[in-house]
Amino acid sequence: MSLTRSDPDTGNAELQFRIDVADENRGFQETIFQWFRRLLISDYFILILTIVGYLFAAQWYERLSNPVNFLNQLSNMWPLFAVAIGQTFVLIVAGIDLSQGSIMALTSVIGAMIMSSELNPAMFDKLPLWGILIDESGGILANSTWAMPVAVVAMLMTGILIGLLNGVLITRFKITPFMVTLVSMIFFSFFALWLTQSRNISGLPDSFVRLGDEGQIISIYVGEKIDPEIRRRDIPTLITNATLIAVGLSLVAGFLLNNTAFGKRMFAIGTNIRAAAISGVPTDRVVIAVYMFSGFCAAVASILYTARLEIGRPTLGEGSLLLDIIGACVIGGTSLFGGKGSVKGTFFGVAFFVLLLNVLNAASLSPFVIDAVKGSVILGAALLDITRTRLLNTERAS
Amino acid sequence: MKQLYENRYYNFVINNATAILFVIIFAFFALTARNFFSTDNVLSIIKNASFVGMLAVGMTFVLLTAGIDLSVGSNMYLSAVVAGLLMRAFEIPVGMGLLIAVGVGALYGAFNAFCVVKLKIIPFMVTLATLVMGRGIGTFLTESEQVDFPERVNAFGQLRFIEIPMPVIVFLLILIAAVIILRFTPLGRQIYAVGNDPEAAKKAGINTDLVISSVYIISGICAGLAGFILASQVMRVDRSFGEQYEFDAIAAAVLAGTSLFGGRGSAIGAVFGAILLQMVETGLVFRNVNLYLQPMVKAVVIFIAVFVDSLRTANLARLRRRFIRSDEDET
Amino acid sequence: MTIIFQTDKLTKSFYGITAVNEVSIEVKKGEISGLIGQNGAGKSTLMNLIGGVVHPDEGQMRFHDSAYAPRNPSDAYNAGIAFIHQELNLFTNLSIAENIFVDNFPTRGFGPFQFIDRKKLNDNVRDILQQVGLDIDPKTTVEEISPGERQLVEIAKALYLDAELIIFDEPTTSLTARETGRLFEIMKQLRDEGKAIIFISHILKDVIALADTVAVMRDGVLMAQEAVENFDINRMINLMVGRQLEQLYPPKTTQPTEIPLLTVKDISAKGIVKDINFMLHRGEVLGLFGLMGSGRTELARIIYGLDDYDRGNIVIGEKHSRKHSARDSIKNGVAFVTENRREEGLLMSINIADNIALVRLPRFTNTPLQIVDGKRLSGAAQRAASVLQLKSGDINTQTAKALSGGNQQKVVIAKWLLSEPRVFLMDEPTRGIDVGAKYEIYAIIDQLAASGSGVLVISSELEELIGICDRILVMNQGEIVGEFLPDEFSEDLILRAAFREHEQVGAPA
Repeated sequence: MSLTRSDPDTGNAELQFRIDVADENRGFQETIFQWFRRLLISDYFILILTIVGYLFAAQWYERLSNPVNFLNQLSNMWPLFAVAIGQTFVLIVAGIDLSQGSIMALTSVIGAMIMSSELNPAMFDKLPLWGILIDESGGILANSTWAMPVAVVAMLMTGILIGLLNGVLITRFKITPFMVTLVSMIFFSFFALWLTQSRNISGLPDSFVRLGDEGQIISIYVGEKIDPEIRRRDIPTLITNATLIAVGLSLVAGFLLNNTAFGKRMFAIGTNIRAAAISGVPTDRVVIAVYMFSGFCAAVASILYTARLEIGRPTLGEGSLLLDIIGACVIGGTSLFGGKGSVKGTFFGVAFFVLLLNVLNAASLSPFVIDAVKGSVILGAALLDITRTRLLNTERAS
Repeated sequence: MKQLYENRYYNFVINNATAILFVIIFAFFALTARNFFSTDNVLSIIKNASFVGMLAVGMTFVLLTAGIDLSVGSNMYLSAVVAGLLMRAFEIPVGMGLLIAVGVGALYGAFNAFCVVKLKIIPFMVTLATLVMGRGIGTFLTESEQVDFPERVNAFGQLRFIEIPMPVIVFLLILIAAVIILRFTPLGRQIYAVGNDPEAAKKAGINTDLVISSVYIISGICAGLAGFILASQVMRVDRSFGEQYEFDAIAAAVLAGTSLFGGRGSAIGAVFGAILLQMVETGLVFRNVNLYLQPMVKAVVIFIAVFVDSLRTANLARLRRRFIRSDEDET
Repeated sequence: MTIIFQTDKLTKSFYGITAVNEVSIEVKKGEISGLIGQNGAGKSTLMNLIGGVVHPDEGQMRFHDSAYAPRNPSDAYNAGIAFIHQELNLFTNLSIAENIFVDNFPTRGFGPFQFIDRKKLNDNVRDILQQVGLDIDPKTTVEEISPGERQLVEIAKALYLDAELIIFDEPTTSLTARETGRLFEIMKQLRDEGKAIIFISHILKDVIALADTVAVMRDGVLMAQEAVENFDINRMINLMVGRQLEQLYPPKTTQPTEIPLLTVKDISAKGIVKDINFMLHRGEVLGLFGLMGSGRTELARIIYGLDDYDRGNIVIGEKHSRKHSARDSIKNGVAFVTENRREEGLLMSINIADNIALVRLPRFTNTPLQIVDGKRLSGAAQRAASVLQLKSGDINTQTAKALSGGNQQKVVIAKWLLSEPRVFLMDEPTRGIDVGAKYEIYAIIDQLAASGSGVLVISSELEELIGICDRILVMNQGEIVGEFLPDEFSEDLILRAAFREHEQVGAPA
């Protein structure tokens, strides 16, 4: 039994008994520093931060403590959550998908064009597909009961196909994900603009719109009882169809990630793609499937947004949405370097973002300033990611 | 597939893809669009290409170190805004305004540099965040109003030197400065070294932190300058000023032969890259192509550039593999 | 000749194994000191100590008669010690002159505007290049010159640095005969100018021809350092070999058959391997020996399907493997335990059970969605772990990173065991593993073969191969240069084959 042993990482000799002494100290008192370190790594850090932060901010801004407002804001979560799930998958395999926003725009437009039941020629006759797929009476399936299901399927298929394109370019042609999805983003967002010549397409059927914030499944009223009756519209809805869809997607995603071979292979690829390939993991197939899923999630989010807005918007998903998505994922514990991430974490990250937005709105800041704040939050999130990785490495070694 | 790599024609096409593309596109538009060849038009193309060109030159520096700067568009905006506001409020001469814009651009770049070098966040994330932050700050400063530049700036902007418009002059000056730095100064050569092999660079005693910081600052300076000069042409800076320029800049740089993987490229190529892009844009306008198709075509062109870059890099890697036997002593 | 550099009882251990054991070596000015030894003898660790890459556990170094303790490679560099490695640290996109002066360009200009003085740059470099006999325009890009010429540029860098101690680490590996000759001329020249040179090489006749003194290392110990006249090839080999057999080898229970599980025929890949022919039989443990850089790992990668080959074919069992990829090999029952478990064998931040289950993952799932049956996976992984006597915490929560080297290697082997392969390719399976764990791995290899698989063991430790193999092949520079049956097992003979010395026994240059 020697007094020294070698540090497995650096090969440097260490005094063995020194370690034992340190363990002893731990039993007596945990320094605040160590407690803080543990907190930072914890999965629930963000949730705690969100709750604490929100309660704090609620002291300053009246609006935030109003339950109606709160629940309304909460409904912003669902579409963002849906698309962030897809990005989480991509980040886990150490990739990135910048094209999600443009997928949302394109699918929104395609779905609307199929479903729309009325299009004013004055506005829409310049569209490239006018006369072919759409005319005054609307889209190709206007007023048909098939309109909604077909449109939904078409939207999902579009997302999947674009994801397939991305995946193939990345794996077979070996171009970095950043570049491939960047080009996709530019191409498809302008494709959507071209198809609609920048117009929003309205006239969507009710069956579709119901997928959005409607379908009041659970509503909560918090407050005083008003005589003789509380008005229906004062009762904010906690769970809508959109909630169900988003949560359903998250359950499927979480299941895939945690309980299937596919999920395990994803983590393997994100951790060490070389080792995974040598061990026989079909890396190309898995990565392509992940990008297809990411496109699918973007399409689902598009369905929710489009239903809520009741129009097909070619500018959907534009602007800083990409930042929101990636930010939410990173804050939620998904690492930009791959190999780490969870649906639960992304949920907390999305909650953080939406509530942050609420606070900023309550402070009456202009949208661009809000963007600036978001930007710095992202930097903070990236920093957190790096810090966490470093802390985890040192924890393991000791 | 192996034979393909040794095929001379394949190698030739790959290494000169941009030039070939240039010739093809030029011929296409020259033959199919009337008046494309006119002096006016050619001059106009070059003038419009100047702004992207300036950014592309700065972007080249960043790409040489295998980094990226997505924030140049917002940098243009913020620099122009600050310069414009100060000039309006304080009767500052145009020259000062220019310097202010450059200063803001440099500071912006320095912030990027700090996040990349000291906080060790990857360049893509940093510049994506500052892209959004920069525009936000700019909008905040202007309270979402547009900034009108004072008249004297217009006089400056319309200056010509031997019939060459101001933007082109500034572009050429930046280009010359870049070429001088990259070829004739120690910093320039060290930038290439860092892009080629960051580890070896550190071992060789190069201050890689300084080198990497400088490329982001240079990119920022170019953006600030480009912002001011563009503002001097349009005389008005609104909320969407400079949007989308970053992608054009990256495209121009990659088309120029600067590799996304670092270590390879030159500033001069940025000229051709920028002109090529502008030529495509103008050509499409000439052919009355729908407004929204233009960016799509550009996206395809960018993609071809990036694709070729990947092929080039793969080609080089193959040729550089370490050998156990030197079979040259045999047949 | 004055001593310019020396070490005093220098000691360094890794993972419980002593790599350098109380080494006291001397290097004199104006002398070429040869350093020889097998792989794992401690040469590279010794060089890393001198170069400041690692720090000694005990002992000291002295340079110019004062204490020398570099904290990092820069310290060594600044002290005037230059390394010429096999892996060159040149920037291929810069010119020769720029490479040499990359951190210290001669400039001229005024104030902050300093421009490179090209004339001075190229002139200075021309002088230095002449010293190494490189007659190339200093403006040429490094990309355009041959490996031999690049090495000369590295030497020129060392000269510019005015290094007083220059260490050449296996410098002739990528050189042609002509370039090697030129290199030796330069080394002699440098020596005559008063530099101190350490020359590490496994080409013994080169060492005898060039060196003034020879130092032999074995198992981390400096066996001898004497004038070259006291050595001949025989003595060199004897000193390098013949380790005390502290390790025991498990009793061999293998009964090799004639049934070929793997047939490699005429495999060639330009610049890598040439005309490789051999068979691996059922029940056999086949060793593949060779010095570092002889192409063994490259051959294994080709057989497994990670790299391409130009000619020949590979037959696994009865199947001609037309398609050629890792997944195909796994399907055909081939396993590959790579030489670097951390980079290519394990997912360090993932738990042990998932690591073990990685190759055969589909087996632990229920269709159609490939839902993982956690219990089945865990159970199988646990069983594999117990069979191999893996010592760890709960395999479902503990990550691979936290294990010792020996246990990590067991995880990798367990992973492959679960895929029930017929052919095992193992590259340095006991590298970085302590004595006790080594024994266990040998026993595992024996059992694998005894149960009907064929195991190809690549190793740089000759005694180990002699202890466990039924047959040993020897590679040198990408070719198979020898085959030894058990009654021919002699460290002497095999080592000679590896050095390609079998023609030169007893005949000093």
